[in-house]
Amino acid sequence: MQTKTTKTILLNEWRLLAADRTLRIVLPLFIVLFAYALANGMAWVRFQEYTVQVVREGNVQRTEGLERELTAIQNGAQPSSPFRDPRNANVMGGRRGARAVALDPGPLTALAVGQSDLLPYYYDVSIYTNETTFLQNGEVENPLNLMVGRFDLAFVAIYLLPLLVLAMGFNVLSGEREQGTLALTLSQPVSARRFVTAKLAFRAILVLAAAIGVSLIGILISGGFGSTGPLGRVLLWCAALTVYALFWFALTAWVNSLGRSSSWNATVLVGAWLVLVVVLPAAINIAAGLLHPLPSRVEMITAQREASNDAVNRRSELLARYLEDHPELTGGDATDEPNRAALAWAATDAVNQRLEEVSERHRMGRDEQNELIRRYRFFSPALLVQELLIDAAGTGDARFARFQSQVRAYAGQWQSFFVPAILAGEKMSADVLPTLPGFNFVDESLGDVGQRATVPLSALIILVGLVGTGAWVGLGKVRGAG
Amino acid sequence: MIRHIVRKEFMDVVRDGRFRWCAALVGALLLVSLGTGWVQARNAQKELAAAQATARDHWESQGEKNPHSAAHYGVYAFKPRLALSFVDEGVDSYTGTSVFLEAHRQNDFLLRPAQDATPAQRIGALTAAQVLQHLVPLLIILLTFGALAGERERGTLRQLLATGVGRLELAMGKALGATAALALLLVPAAVVGAAAIVMGSPGPATSPLVRGAVLAGIYLAYFATFIGLSLAVSARAPSARAALVVLLAIWVVNGLVAPRVAVDLSKWLYPTPSAIEFAHTLEQEMANGVEGVDRPDRAAVTQNLLAQYGVERTEDLPINAIGVFLQESEVFGDQIFDRNYGALWDTFKRQGYVHEALAVTAPLLAVRTLSMGLAGTDVEQHRHFAAAAEQYRRDLVERLNGELTENSRTGEVYLASADLWSQMPPFRYDAPEVSWVLKNRALSLLMLGLWLAGAFVVVTYAVRRAEVA
Repeated sequence: MQTKTTKTILLNEWRLLAADRTLRIVLPLFIVLFAYALANGMAWVRFQEYTVQVVREGNVQRTEGLERELTAIQNGAQPSSPFRDPRNANVMGGRRGARAVALDPGPLTALAVGQSDLLPYYYDVSIYTNETTFLQNGEVENPLNLMVGRFDLAFVAIYLLPLLVLAMGFNVLSGEREQGTLALTLSQPVSARRFVTAKLAFRAILVLAAAIGVSLIGILISGGFGSTGPLGRVLLWCAALTVYALFWFALTAWVNSLGRSSSWNATVLVGAWLVLVVVLPAAINIAAGLLHPLPSRVEMITAQREASNDAVNRRSELLARYLEDHPELTGGDATDEPNRAALAWAATDAVNQRLEEVSERHRMGRDEQNELIRRYRFFSPALLVQELLIDAAGTGDARFARFQSQVRAYAGQWQSFFVPAILAGEKMSADVLPTLPGFNFVDESLGDVGQRATVPLSALIILVGLVGTGAWVGLGKVRGAG
Repeated sequence: MIRHIVRKEFMDVVRDGRFRWCAALVGALLLVSLGTGWVQARNAQKELAAAQATARDHWESQGEKNPHSAAHYGVYAFKPRLALSFVDEGVDSYTGTSVFLEAHRQNDFLLRPAQDATPAQRIGALTAAQVLQHLVPLLIILLTFGALAGERERGTLRQLLATGVGRLELAMGKALGATAALALLLVPAAVVGAAAIVMGSPGPATSPLVRGAVLAGIYLAYFATFIGLSLAVSARAPSARAALVVLLAIWVVNGLVAPRVAVDLSKWLYPTPSAIEFAHTLEQEMANGVEGVDRPDRAAVTQNLLAQYGVERTEDLPINAIGVFLQESEVFGDQIFDRNYGALWDTFKRQGYVHEALAVTAPLLAVRTLSMGLAGTDVEQHRHFAAAAEQYRRDLVERLNGELTENSRTGEVYLASADLWSQMPPFRYDAPEVSWVLKNRALSLLMLGLWLAGAFVVVTYAVRRAEVA
């Protein structure tokens, strides 16, 4: 009996919706917006994939160039320039032989551009890689376009999807009352709870089918299923979308249960959207900026200047200290007459250490601010879902930070390879090239992503639970008459 | 009569709890964002000014050095926060803060604050300008969507018109009533803003008060446009609810959809090169030159000098040939930089025009452009600063090459005395005049003017044709 009633409601809803002019316009409009957003995201992925390919090809060309010249020198030719002699360890390990490392676009970048238009996704690694390397800009992009942001699926989902939900449901109960059909409906063996739930569930299926359908098509077309472990990411993406949409449906149900007019519902729901999606994230950011202002990077430049001035003046002293600190690097026989490259390296190392200190202080300041934002983000479902969506897509901060830290480690390996040779004044040959350390990005495992997602996803689910309970209780009090 | 309408509207609105809440919220956000914006801009400016002074200290205390080594040592330029940047942060978070000025190279601006921020800040950054551009129009919609449609629904429109009041007069009264209510939050904000400018602006700017006044005018025109549109929709919509839905749709397109569509459209029409392509082209052209711009040849430069001075050996030249060669290389490099960076900036400029042109669909795009322009935080003024820094670099390197050329002979190891560095003028930046900004942004001025005129025409037409019942 109960399921049959639900079926009847659903069937009637379908007929009603099919006849509703507004929805006939709004829903297809949304599918168009979704598709447009997807096309946009896919164009961006293609651009990034192409760039990554160019970056990697550059490595091959650079290595080939070095190999040619080294072989020629071995056969008696002169180096092209004494400053660029690839036999010197500080040239082969320096800018001339630098190894470019690139991060493949996140598995679902086509769905959420996230931070990928802003943060650098490839670096040149050499013995000169230090903290300033990570200050470089990302892709060439008009600052105006960066400020506005992309029209991607995540944008449509965060900002526009709630509006679609509100438009579909704001009068789900109040409309019936205003038409005078509510008393009649509730005189049937159906409760207001069941009635509203069925009506909203029907709409939720429509909205989610559109949102998730377009997402899946996008993932299929962009070949996302092919690469490593994206299935979990896809599930997380769909789960985040679903829970977020459910939050707005639950809120719609709750507001409807209060028994006010349709226009009151509409105003309140739009107000709620404004507060949760626009005002609260802004307020949280303003608070974070006031309580824990982000330390500026300007200090880094001054520190670098001062450290290198200082280091240049004290090169010999620094080298002596460096060798004392790293006896293993000299192979036991400390050279009495340090070569110029060794002196230069000692200065570079001193500057790097100072930069690491400054950078560490900056990172701590940044973490404090993030901590505050993380604590208060629970108030805004928009912030929670944004975090989930871009994290699922692999375009959030975490994946970029992971890339950066692996590049840092790789730069360390690169230095360990070349520095002993620089200190010993050892010459390099073409045989060294294949033995150079390589870079392999170890991408996040599903566990990493899942672990990060647990808190925001649970928080969203709890929000849905709270609002849903409110709606449940409220709907229980709804009577047809009066 | 109109005075009564205005008074009645104003009292209605002010007594409405919903409006009081919304207005309090928007007003508070406006004041808070003005205040925090001002504090943050001032702190940032203090730090930038200090860094600029330190950079100069470093430059002056180089000690004895070859002038060309000094050119390699270089100097940093820091982009100041201009006086009105606290009202509208514009693209400041997305442009670099600092540029290294050295021999041979034009460098990119580094240190974009946004790169250090969390993604949350990208959806939630709120400045006074954003409150004015997004939230005040929403408030206007809430104030006016029922102005005529509501009267009609309640049947009071017929009564009102029966008293002999003209339709246009009625609409005017409604508009002025809404304006008076809005003034309750806008006037204090304007006073606070003006006080902040007068009391001590965060950074340098040309005539900040004039800029502030024009800015206020721009926003008033924007609000007037919204009041007009809102009343027009209210006059023609079948019900107050329908009017609200239509107006909210307009608001979403204006504030959310159109700006982002403009991004995609601008990138599609005027694509930017990828960073790696850009760097590659620059490197190629620097190495090989391009058509008509050839890399100077050191031997040829020396030969020319020998012929010019009529001597046989470089040692006999009264000047340092290397200095001349270095300067010719600079001139060559500058041409290559102008070609490449010039083309990139021009692409940005064209992309900016796309945003401005799309203002036909959304007045926000025109207002945003003008607002950033007047606050001095748009892309064009970043370019203005970048050009000033680059010009300073070129002048500095030229003077240093001149010192090398004039004061030493070819092949000699020359060290300039330690007091030479303080003789080089320090970097100074003059922000452009208001007229420069407005001339650059003529398209947006036109668009805003069209919207204002259009709204006036539409509301007149709609009110004349409005059904009474």
